[in-house]
Amino acid sequence: MSFAERMLKIDRRIIFLVIGLCTLFPLLYPVGLPIKISPEVRGVYDYIESLPEGSVFLLSLDFDPASKPELYPQSISLLRHAFRKNLRVIAMTLWVSGTGMADQVITQVAREMGKESGKDYVFLGWSPGGSAVIINMGQDLYGAFPADYNGKPTKGLPVLQGITNLRDVNYAVSLGAGNPGVEAWYVFGKDKYKFELGGGCTGVMAPGLYPLLRSGQINGLIGGLRGAAEYETLIGQKGRAIAGMDAQSATHLAIIVLVIMCNLFYFSLRKQAKQQGHSGA
Amino acid sequence: MIFLRRQVPLLITLITGLVFAAQYYVPHPASEQMLTSVTKWLQIIGGFALVLGVSSLFHVHAMKIRRKEAGWGYSFVLYVSMLGTIAVGLWSNGKEAIDGTMTAFGWIYNFMMVPLQGTMFAILAFFIASAAYRSFRARSREAAVLLIAAVIVMMGRVPLGEYLIPLSGDLSQWILNVLNASVRRAILIGVSLGTVALSIKIIFGMERSYLGGGKE
Repeated sequence: MSFAERMLKIDRRIIFLVIGLCTLFPLLYPVGLPIKISPEVRGVYDYIESLPEGSVFLLSLDFDPASKPELYPQSISLLRHAFRKNLRVIAMTLWVSGTGMADQVITQVAREMGKESGKDYVFLGWSPGGSAVIINMGQDLYGAFPADYNGKPTKGLPVLQGITNLRDVNYAVSLGAGNPGVEAWYVFGKDKYKFELGGGCTGVMAPGLYPLLRSGQINGLIGGLRGAAEYETLIGQKGRAIAGMDAQSATHLAIIVLVIMCNLFYFSLRKQAKQQGHSGA
Repeated sequence: MIFLRRQVPLLITLITGLVFAAQYYVPHPASEQMLTSVTKWLQIIGGFALVLGVSSLFHVHAMKIRRKEAGWGYSFVLYVSMLGTIAVGLWSNGKEAIDGTMTAFGWIYNFMMVPLQGTMFAILAFFIASAAYRSFRARSREAAVLLIAAVIVMMGRVPLGEYLIPLSGDLSQWILNVLNASVRRAILIGVSLGTVALSIKIIFGMERSYLGGGKE
């Protein structure tokens, strides 16, 4: 067996070890390379920045713990920005398995920013029906969520004063890890109830949402950990996403090197096989 | 019986399909009220679907355990975990925290579900790296194009890539915004046209597989 053949059949545990080390070392010894802001992330930031105080901002945390590393930092940054701008925040989730996490993030950021539940923000929790919940909220918010996550009746909450349905929302952002997520919010929400919509998603999903972005169906997109790191940079508060970018840089580079190596070995084997074929003939 | 099993559902589908396709274009309060009522029904049906899903899961795994089929031990673990979580959830009133104090249900959520789901997702990175090394080869021109595009996007999406090759960021943006978006849009249009065609077939009773099998 030649060297190239042996390298192509390398034990996969060695690759696992390389990836593990590439993740671990940058987390232990961060470099902190500068992060360039993309126009799609700036789109979300600029829109929130342009909203006057007291505007209604709806954040739908449509993800479960599997997507926590990417979408949790996005939610923290968005909430910090919204609270700093003194927007009225309505948080909710369309994913039942994400309810506890959504409650944690909003409670944690609200406490940090000195905001009060019911007055400055409300967490509506989860309601069954998936995309139907969006339509229901578009028709009657109080019908879809008669009580908030803590069981308080939503009617009469100061934060919801003057809001009857999704038409009264100034800006909505869905942080989605699948369906229902950003697309559902566009199809069943924005298209009919005419509010401005932004999106956030995992890195794997981002390329699939670019058509919505290019056609203006969403005005911005925060994609994966990179998007979260860009948002943290924009609001000037370093968090988990920026800390994770060095690890992501190293693993991307490791995968690129592995792919290049694999192709070099593959071509050297092909060349050898061709030469043997010629000499055999 | 055939009338009740076949004709009535087909009639309901035809009427509701046509009415709600038209409803979208009619902003009259009566039409909006009708939509409000129906979305409430949908939410209620969604709740029942959840109960149905859980009971079906219980049934499937109970059968596996009873018959001692291959992997029945996993079904047993699932049974114990599910019953345990439901019991603790009911005891904690479905809340992960009450007045800032973590409940037993919150403990299960934070220290079992979150790390388990996170681990499942995280190990993907290791398998993707291994799979990329083994199979991402430029065997044809098309594969070479895919390979080059993937390398550029991977470089351009991380600060180190942009630092080493400054052009990679803009190139990756161009690939995502132009090439990727146009192809995705073509796929979306195709899928949407297919969905419209399927909806028309369902509304007019040409596609009946949703009615299920069973005796005529």
